[in-house]
Amino acid sequence: MRLELHKVFVKNVSWGDETRIEKGTLYVNREEMLSVVLSDDRFAKADLELARPGESVRIIPVKDVIEPRCKLKGPGEVFPGFVGGMETVGEGKTLVLDGAAVVTCGPIVAFQEGLIDMTGPASFYSPFSGTNNVVLVVEPVEGLDQHSYELALRVAGLKLGWYLADRCRNAPADEVRVFEMGGPVDESARYPGLPKIAYFCMSITQGLLHDTFLYGADMKHIVPTLIHPNEKMDGAMVSGNCVSACDKNTTWHHLNDPIVEELYSRHGKDLVFLGVIPTIEDTRLAGKERTSWFNAKLAKMLGADGVVISEEGYGNPDTDLCMNAARCEKLGIRTVIISDEAAGTDGKSQGLADATPEMTAFVSAGNVNEMIELTPMKKVIGFAESIANLSGGAEESLREDGSMFIELQAVIGSTNELGFSSIGARWI
Amino acid sequence: MVREIENAAGIPVVQIATIVPIMLTVGANRIVPGVAIPHPVGDPSLGPEGDRKVRRALLERALRAIQTPIKEQTVFKS
Repeated sequence: MRLELHKVFVKNVSWGDETRIEKGTLYVNREEMLSVVLSDDRFAKADLELARPGESVRIIPVKDVIEPRCKLKGPGEVFPGFVGGMETVGEGKTLVLDGAAVVTCGPIVAFQEGLIDMTGPASFYSPFSGTNNVVLVVEPVEGLDQHSYELALRVAGLKLGWYLADRCRNAPADEVRVFEMGGPVDESARYPGLPKIAYFCMSITQGLLHDTFLYGADMKHIVPTLIHPNEKMDGAMVSGNCVSACDKNTTWHHLNDPIVEELYSRHGKDLVFLGVIPTIEDTRLAGKERTSWFNAKLAKMLGADGVVISEEGYGNPDTDLCMNAARCEKLGIRTVIISDEAAGTDGKSQGLADATPEMTAFVSAGNVNEMIELTPMKKVIGFAESIANLSGGAEESLREDGSMFIELQAVIGSTNELGFSSIGARWI
Repeated sequence: MVREIENAAGIPVVQIATIVPIMLTVGANRIVPGVAIPHPVGDPSLGPEGDRKVRRALLERALRAIQTPIKEQTVFKS
């Protein structure tokens, strides 16, 4: 499978008569872009705003972030099951507006959404403080149930991501990156001496607006399966998650998964990358057990010597994490996990809700409960008072001058468990 | 809280919760597995009558568990 990512670098975003990219500036025809979503009768109101890196702007509450992408050459189209059909993606050519993002925002869908500050202390923690953002702000029609609202906003974001890329499809690429790799059988035969590594991409799949989608399929109803890493880059996995913002994988994260990139870059050098196993976090114990047995079995059948396991969220998924590690280790497959910690505001509590002796290699993505002081922003896109309902915030978080004192978990992407964050550690 | 009630007040406690491994990790002594995280003590997918049966069965199992002498952490699966 060979995929070329044609990256066009976006350094700025501005309104314009025609949606296009010129000399690094993405011009957006506001009316045309809005017409893509205004036909949806589930929205009473919809508007677009721009937010650039360094501006004194707060976006709240943020539901999802989407990197604009479209296929230049198929088969298929990006975001299969939503924008594209069901053709297998991951081959051909895909245009990427690198440095741009579509951000979806609206009055609270559920209690767990997040915020982005384009400058100030929080901007260190979120990758979306550094992207040129086109923000969709909607208001649902009265009486619309939350699940319909979430679906409408999810699809609107994906459509707008495709729309922006599609209007720039003739722009010359600043960089072309080629991702080419066969399936696990061929690649294992090609590099017989190297350790074979699989990647479990654990995803929140718990219903009640905590869901992830694979080719449009609601993942809470699947057993774990195998995809080629290229499929992720074309939007095979989509976030439908209204969950604690710090460690949810937005659709943007799935497209730019650093674990995929790292394993790819080392493939054929010091390891064989077997593929991605999108896996679930069930709400029932039997579901967690079934899933972990399936994951370990899949890894074994693929001939894996080791597995990288990333978590999404915290709390009960810590049990999935433990079970996945334990089942694999018992089969002789070595594991390393990437997770954040809910260690309390003083950092002294146990980081994970569960533990197992087989979990011996742990990469921490930070403490979600760390308190952070946010300076006021000159402009708020969305609804500042939403902080009262966000995980990591409270009614008293927002002060009269617009400053806030919150837990890190309200900042979107701040402790991302794919490792896409600024938080690190060093020996001293 | 489960452990503290037992330790400080000497009242036996049975915990109904879905993710049994976490209960074992945190040190609950009498554990009755719940149905699912969003609805640990019932199953709304079975309709009002079915849900009521599940609730009753869980409660009765919990009452049995609380009267059962134990020497170590015990999961009451039936």
